[in-house]
Amino acid sequence: MPGPLPRTKSNDWWNRRWAYRLVLLRELSAFAVAGYLVLLLLLVASVREGESAFEGHLDVLKHPLLWIVHALLLGLAQFHTATWFRLVPKAMPLKLGGWRVPGELLIAGVNGAWLVVSVVVLVIFLVAA
Amino acid sequence: MRPSNEPFFWAIFSAGGMIVAFLLPVLIIITGFVVPAGGVEFEQLDNVFGNPLARLIVFGVAFLGFFHAAHRIRHLLKDLGLRSIATPIAALCYLGALAGAIWAATVVI
Amino acid sequence: MTSEATATRTVTLEVFRYHPDTDTEPSYQSFEVPYREEWVVLDALNWLKDEVDGTLSYRWSCRMGVCGSCGMMVNGYPRLTCNAFLREFMPGPIRVEPLRGFPVERDMVTVLDDFMEKLTDVKPWIIRDEEQPIEEGEYRQSPSQLADFKQFSMCINCMLCYAACPVYEHEDEFIGPAALALAQRYNLDSRDEGNAQRQELIWSDEGIWDCTFIGECSTVCPKHVDPAAAIQQAKVEATNNFFISLLPFTPPGMGR
Repeated sequence: MPGPLPRTKSNDWWNRRWAYRLVLLRELSAFAVAGYLVLLLLLVASVREGESAFEGHLDVLKHPLLWIVHALLLGLAQFHTATWFRLVPKAMPLKLGGWRVPGELLIAGVNGAWLVVSVVVLVIFLVAA
Repeated sequence: MRPSNEPFFWAIFSAGGMIVAFLLPVLIIITGFVVPAGGVEFEQLDNVFGNPLARLIVFGVAFLGFFHAAHRIRHLLKDLGLRSIATPIAALCYLGALAGAIWAATVVI
Repeated sequence: MTSEATATRTVTLEVFRYHPDTDTEPSYQSFEVPYREEWVVLDALNWLKDEVDGTLSYRWSCRMGVCGSCGMMVNGYPRLTCNAFLREFMPGPIRVEPLRGFPVERDMVTVLDDFMEKLTDVKPWIIRDEEQPIEEGEYRQSPSQLADFKQFSMCINCMLCYAACPVYEHEDEFIGPAALALAQRYNLDSRDEGNAQRQELIWSDEGIWDCTFIGECSTVCPKHVDPAAAIQQAKVEATNNFFISLLPFTPPGMGR
């Protein structure tokens, strides 16, 4: 008598539905994060070294391939940002006094803060410096 | 049952995920597009990164970001079926992040 | 449409079959079932059992989304078959299988022992250090205190969240979404004092830390319990506790 069928395990969960594929993409964004941090540190290192080192680095940055790489990194980083902010009210529901801040409002607030920070950083680089 | 050491890594993962979510898109736009297009000159970059606070922020983003990525990749590989070698994968990921963080420190000092 | 006109339409059901006495491998059997606008998948299965094959086995009881016993995979997705309308899947075929990630007793009947064990392991009941004497009346709770955990208390143990969880699929020891959400439900209850008793298991690697916030448990939940949120909130709490316990002193108000 064979008895009950043992539970099955398969590694194709990520390809079952779009929701899972997007989660996979969300997790893969970690590679983009690490990859971009390397590029950022290389740039900072070249600036710290002096103008000629920076000019050399700039020539590399101008290569079309690096434009494509940065476009991909931007897409994945933006996906990380969007998914990360969407999960904020789940992990950290906000209660002000007795008032439970609605999740959508919290997400909007975080996105607003993100927009302000982004503009500030842009101003620092483009105007203030 | 052994208490988990996961809170330590999860805290860094979360802090990293937050700072990366806030800063990476705009930084990529600046260093990946505006800089090569000539919108920001060497002097401006030198001014920004000459500031110790800015360099501290760069280090913070790199340190937390590398560990954030390492933690995520570690768990992704586990979820994709590599459970039997989860411990060496974890060691490899976090050591990679540590190496990245040390490099970041040498760049900003 | 008149009932006569609809009765002539049919839909194909591809049903998972497994008999523990005779089969070593599961198989799929196709049936033509009358299509009716108001029928759910469970109605089609009941029609099959009554009219075609009395040996077809599956669990069901209330047929109104309350009892949590008729969960199955419908076209690969965990659903309560009592609220999965045939019309959602037209023109078919509709594939009906037992919930993913569980051993199969027979046809769509799964073995629930693992879940039942984990459910009791998290002690999903109110624990008091000392019971209040009956003459002092009931434990009182404000609407705001109730709201803290009410969402997590709606669980009907249907196990759709387990079937949607890739982590549970791979990790036998993982306590899983529903049990962890119920643990959180009691931890957040102002009348409960059992937090410390649940911590060791909940805060272990097999508890909340195996979860990678894939989040499908919350999507499939027919009662909107949101186990994924419960687990993340427990992670935040466990992490705060971890760092506080490293301090050489106990901050005021953190005595527990």
